[in-house]
Amino acid sequence: MASAQSFAHYIDDRPGEGIFRVDRSVYTDPAVLEAEYATIFEGNWLFLCHETMIPNPGDYFTAYMGRQPVFVVRGEDGGINGFINACGHRGAMLLTYRVGNVSTIDCPYHGFCFDRRGKCISVRNQRTGWPDNFDIGTFDLAPIARIDSYRGMIFGSLSQDVDELSDYLGAAKALLDIFVAPAPAPLEIVGGYCTYVSNCNWKVMHENGPDAYHAPVVHRNFADTIAYRESRGTYEGVNKTERGRLTARIESASYDLGNGHTAFWNERKTPEAYPIHAQRDELAKRFTAGQLDWILGRGRHMTIFPNLLLNDLASSHLRTYRPLSVDRMETTIWCIAPVGEPREMRTARLRKFEDFFLPSGMATPDDIAICEAAQRAAFATGARWTEMGRGSDPAFRVDGPDEAAKALGFKPKVSSTSWDHEIALQGVYRYWLSRVNHNGGAHRG
Amino acid sequence: MVDVTLQAEVSELVFREARLLDAQRWNDWLELYCEDAVFWVPAFTMAGGYTERPDEELNFIYMNGRNGLEERVFRLNTGISLSSTPLPRTRHMVGMVMVDREDGDGIEAFANCQVAVFTEIRGQQLRTSSYEYRLRRTSAGLRIAQKKVPLLEAVIDGYFDFYAI
Repeated sequence: MASAQSFAHYIDDRPGEGIFRVDRSVYTDPAVLEAEYATIFEGNWLFLCHETMIPNPGDYFTAYMGRQPVFVVRGEDGGINGFINACGHRGAMLLTYRVGNVSTIDCPYHGFCFDRRGKCISVRNQRTGWPDNFDIGTFDLAPIARIDSYRGMIFGSLSQDVDELSDYLGAAKALLDIFVAPAPAPLEIVGGYCTYVSNCNWKVMHENGPDAYHAPVVHRNFADTIAYRESRGTYEGVNKTERGRLTARIESASYDLGNGHTAFWNERKTPEAYPIHAQRDELAKRFTAGQLDWILGRGRHMTIFPNLLLNDLASSHLRTYRPLSVDRMETTIWCIAPVGEPREMRTARLRKFEDFFLPSGMATPDDIAICEAAQRAAFATGARWTEMGRGSDPAFRVDGPDEAAKALGFKPKVSSTSWDHEIALQGVYRYWLSRVNHNGGAHRG
Repeated sequence: MVDVTLQAEVSELVFREARLLDAQRWNDWLELYCEDAVFWVPAFTMAGGYTERPDEELNFIYMNGRNGLEERVFRLNTGISLSSTPLPRTRHMVGMVMVDREDGDGIEAFANCQVAVFTEIRGQQLRTSSYEYRLRRTSAGLRIAQKKVPLLEAVIDGYFDFYAI
């Protein structure tokens, strides 16, 4: 068990004074990363994959939970099981592709064989070299302690001692519902993906998601480039990219959803550029005006602590993170879209995705560059604090739901009047502290 | 037999493109592309291949028309893109140029490329890819109608744009 080290001195949280600061050592201290592995990445719920990535019996998906290689595999009955991706005999990694299909899992080292429930079903030369009371079950694969899913998102925990997934997601569930509900069909992962490695602490990148404050600065060049494109008269209708949110003052809000989860929305300046806008008449039959406001009228962004980001702004995407070291991390990103959406909508969604996201896009490279710059400066202990106090004044925040949250029926811990406030980040770090101060994951927080 | 004249003509275009990119002579570089040119960097599939249907699957870059490349040049020139300011220095090493086919529609050609990319922050990085060209004869000479650039690395360290592949 990890030692009971407290990291409380890394967070300066004085709500009464409107002060919230994070010591930049959280991005550089190896002891912090060890505690994060123990209490967060290997000790709490993590996003693993989307159900449509493993649609058929035998389909598997490999991933890492913290440092530990794992896989999830769909069984005959359609259920999903997950295991540590290491042979029960001498520990060789079993599955080395990202995805695939297996009827049995055969270890490439000594040929031990496992079924899709993790049971060892054959041992090479089993009749010799083992005692009479040999128990083949000794070699069964170690299961991921908890596997559960919500709205097609599959989560796992290496610790048994966690809240039910539904309770863990809490207020975030209503927003996950919105990501799925407006689609005329369930969401699917569009073909193709990207994994990229960045030279920053995972939290620097994680913070950049709920932080809309940076967008008009870091992505000004993107907005200018789209304006240049539009000045030349190409790209109309659904092919048009929203840039109003980057350049104009618009209605918005952000939320601390509890348990480190966050969300923000912004009013869509050009809703006709949103791929499912063409289906608004059909949607109007299924949803109330209040729900339609959320579905069609608002760009939405959310993070599920610690490793899932979902947004539906100009395009729609799903992203997951994992730390590699204190100053290096890996991101994997997919485009998500309704199954069977009209081809021109799908194509427009993809082009907008490629415009903005990916390390080859016209915006994400600037996000990566600023995160890496923040990481380099984080080693400057002469400038200790990262300030996250924006929006702390009671004039800009409500404890509990604001009107928009009430209309959708979710209960954030705190609602903030703008997407460029830092209230949501405060929630991330309060929850983060409750985890890393968790005595090596031995107790529930 | 190799058509030596055609081989030389295609190689010259392929090398010239690489040299113009290294020299950051964007306008001269854009001139090598037809107005309706496709610039395509496919993404990887989870199963380990490349995406093949650009209108239905994800790509690193898919520009249907030279306009898209002009927009990327515009962005570099804004001077406020942190990932492109200062611009990385590049040196393209293009080799194995082969003409695969010539018919009424034009020429199909192949090359391999390694690009050394240098920034003070990241040092020197190497990016490796193949070039799959479709070339077209125009009144201005041989021009690029399509360039497909499948990358070698499935995990991208850092970020890149058209000039660094």
